[in-house]
Amino acid sequence: MIAIIGAGPAGLAAAKVAAESNSEVIVLDSAPRPGGQYWRHRDYVQGYKSHRASGYLDSIIGSKNVTYIHGAQVWSATRGKGAITLNYLHEGSEKSITVEKLILTTGAYDRSLPFAGWELPGSMTPGAAQALLKGHGVIGGKKILVSGTGPFLLPVAVGLAEAGADVLGIIEAHSPLRWLRSPIALILNPQKALELLYYLRKIRKYSLKVYFGSAVIGFNGSKAILSKVKSNLESKGKVTEIECDVVAAGWGFNPDVTLGGILGCNQKVDRDGTVIFSVDSEQRSSQQNIWIAGEATGIGGADLALAEGEIAARSALNDSIPLSLKFKRFRLRLFATALQRSYPVGNGWQGWIKPETKICRCEEVSHSEICQSVTELSAQDSRTSKLFTRAGMGLCQGRVCSRNVSEIIAGENGCKVTDQERISYSNRPIAAPISLGVLADGINSQ
Amino acid sequence: MSHIGNNPDAIVIGAGIVGACSALSLTNAGLKVMIIDRGTVASGTTGAGEGNILVSDKDPGPELTLALRSRDLWFEMQEDVGDTFELEAKGGVVVARNDDSKLMALAKVQSANGVTAQVVNSKELHQLEPYLHPEISSGVFYPQDAQCQPMLAAAKIIQTVIARGGSLVSQSKVLGFDIKDGAVIGVNTTTGKYSAPIVINAAGTWAGEIAALAGSNLPVAPRRGFILVTEPAPQYIFHKVYDSDYVANVASSDADLQTSTVVEGTRSGTILIGASRERVGFDGSMNYEILRRLAQQAVSLFPVLRDVQLLRAYRGFRPYAPDHLPLIGEDYAIRGLWHSAGHEGAGIGLAPGSAALITDSILGRNSFMDATPFSPKRFAGVSV
Amino acid sequence: MSKFAEREVTFTFNGETFKGVEGQSIAAALMATGVRELRKTRFDGKPRLIFCGIGICFDCVVVIDGVANQRACLVEISDGAKIESQK
Repeated sequence: MIAIIGAGPAGLAAAKVAAESNSEVIVLDSAPRPGGQYWRHRDYVQGYKSHRASGYLDSIIGSKNVTYIHGAQVWSATRGKGAITLNYLHEGSEKSITVEKLILTTGAYDRSLPFAGWELPGSMTPGAAQALLKGHGVIGGKKILVSGTGPFLLPVAVGLAEAGADVLGIIEAHSPLRWLRSPIALILNPQKALELLYYLRKIRKYSLKVYFGSAVIGFNGSKAILSKVKSNLESKGKVTEIECDVVAAGWGFNPDVTLGGILGCNQKVDRDGTVIFSVDSEQRSSQQNIWIAGEATGIGGADLALAEGEIAARSALNDSIPLSLKFKRFRLRLFATALQRSYPVGNGWQGWIKPETKICRCEEVSHSEICQSVTELSAQDSRTSKLFTRAGMGLCQGRVCSRNVSEIIAGENGCKVTDQERISYSNRPIAAPISLGVLADGINSQ
Repeated sequence: MSHIGNNPDAIVIGAGIVGACSALSLTNAGLKVMIIDRGTVASGTTGAGEGNILVSDKDPGPELTLALRSRDLWFEMQEDVGDTFELEAKGGVVVARNDDSKLMALAKVQSANGVTAQVVNSKELHQLEPYLHPEISSGVFYPQDAQCQPMLAAAKIIQTVIARGGSLVSQSKVLGFDIKDGAVIGVNTTTGKYSAPIVINAAGTWAGEIAALAGSNLPVAPRRGFILVTEPAPQYIFHKVYDSDYVANVASSDADLQTSTVVEGTRSGTILIGASRERVGFDGSMNYEILRRLAQQAVSLFPVLRDVQLLRAYRGFRPYAPDHLPLIGEDYAIRGLWHSAGHEGAGIGLAPGSAALITDSILGRNSFMDATPFSPKRFAGVSV
Repeated sequence: MSKFAEREVTFTFNGETFKGVEGQSIAAALMATGVRELRKTRFDGKPRLIFCGIGICFDCVVVIDGVANQRACLVEISDGAKIESQK
């Protein structure tokens, strides 16, 4: 049996290939509905080519050899001889499944940068604004600013505007001229120009303002402070205020590498500082019979995830992989590299925060406390600082803050965050919280 | 290789709690101390512990004498350093689930040897721990049991050493020793060569490897333990609560897995659950079946914990000595090389007492107890 | 995928009755009515709403029928659910 973890674009693409074979496939997804973060879906919310999702969904829901289990959260996994066991939480109890092959498509979540007031109600990630809208039909506030960097800001802002939200602006930290540094990626991906055109038309239709070279560096719940920023995100000092009740700020993505990490799949640090898995040309991880596809092998968007998911499934099924598919992945990876070049996240944000700004939202650890752990307690890495200050020890287990904490500590120590530390803070032994009672009761076999 | 100009009087290897306390004690005796660590402050076993300062889990004997003195020294050190390290005499509650005769016998001999051990009846027990399983009716309360935040303590103590003229060299791995005429004269490390006539090996679980670099034999081996950490919860647990099996497991030499229940709350609201013991070398892999066993034992003691979520688990390696006594004293072959290691799971509690013993021995002073039972010489000729 | 049946669901939040649409998360249903605070933080008592919206950050945790630390952005509303802010 083959298990696919995740039902976003990569997982669905893998499932679609598997559905067309005769193999027994199980898809485990933590969300109540398939589609992942990008294709979370309500019929009345449209986006660029969002109709593609339904083709994939039909193939897994209607297929005889595919079992799709939603609301299944894998919390731990182990490898045995020729078998992989996945322990997951489903409908209040723990279940377990043992498979021969595993395709991991665990996706990514928004990367956030702290700024003064980012803890307040109304400050959220673009993913949150989008999830509220697409998943639940709710607009997060009355006056919305979408801020950060990268092309993902466009579908969020446009989606909100289409749903009737008052989107005051798209605040993009970088200049679009940075794209001129990646001509080959652009030439090989003309379809991306069409996508951009689609959004530009919508931006004009809804008269959305786009501010380039700017960022929201402060928020008080009813007003955002907008600053011109340098390419490393350092504030140029020139600020304006905009009245708004929602700031949806996102700075790229953090891949979710927890489960593959538990299973011992080799990881590396991508050029943008994210921790990703090392995979070969067929999406095989360093561990036998484990394939990884999508954002967890490098942030690249839904199209790349679809190609990788298909390649992974074909490889797992010992099917041939068409050259055209490999070329598609090649050109989309080039595009992904161009994205990293065009929308880098420098450390200038460290100048936006105030001593009292909470860096760890869960345990409410401020910037000054983290700095003190370095100056007064000799902390040299995030692990040590974490044990002193509790930053990263709360409910989210550092998923939101640990990267920022590491950058702050490295900055205080005048050095760079090592790859070893990045891999260390990206991994945790328990992939999802489990109640002690459920853990104590043991596996409830299906 | 650089040579530090201001030569220290003593070098302490290891910036864990044992090293930190040794350095402070020597500093207060007038020596200039340099602490070196291959990582940073408390990056080994100290950073993986719960901060136990216990007298309740010890049978009468030299370790109990050391533990009692050490516990008082913790409170004195708090004054000296001027920080709380979250030190708190929270008290321990030991419960017996079935047969309580062993626990009662232990409490009796402990009481005769300076431990405050109050046998409590069922009503008193449930007043101490209202969420304890209603069927558990027998226990002993140990008001002297205390807890601190060990990393914070190590860091604050080392800051004090530095403020009093000492130094800390992090990311410095010991490569070998300079030995002349059977006496240590310095240490070679990845950050340079340091000279001192006194070197203290406080490398905890890794003390055996350090001793081997000097050609000496110190039988310290890792004994792995897992700790479960829950989400922040309301205060369900008021003391350090453990099962009477714990005492037997601590004292056991069995290499196989043993688990006993130890449950306690922390200031941040999380609940810590232990304790497993197994001798599997430095195997850092997660064992989910051990986590499950620990969870089962915890919810059987405190049913209210069933709805509390497990957030993370971590493991540490206790420095295990074959006879469960720490190794404190001069090396049996090399003069000037002193060891303070092998405290197993009691290193936090025993650190200040061990530091006082080693300082007194180095200076040839009388100490609060005879250090002979802890002498590394007892293992002379024994291979690891 | 078929369109959600727009069935109304009634639940309480801090004792007050709210209505939402079946399939909506607790956070979404409350935010749709203008709620801007789901809880106060443990140490500083500061208000929090949702942040990541997808179950990663745990900022939106609430007490659902007595069980604490449940993510309001993930758990869907159900008839008669009793939801409370946690401190």
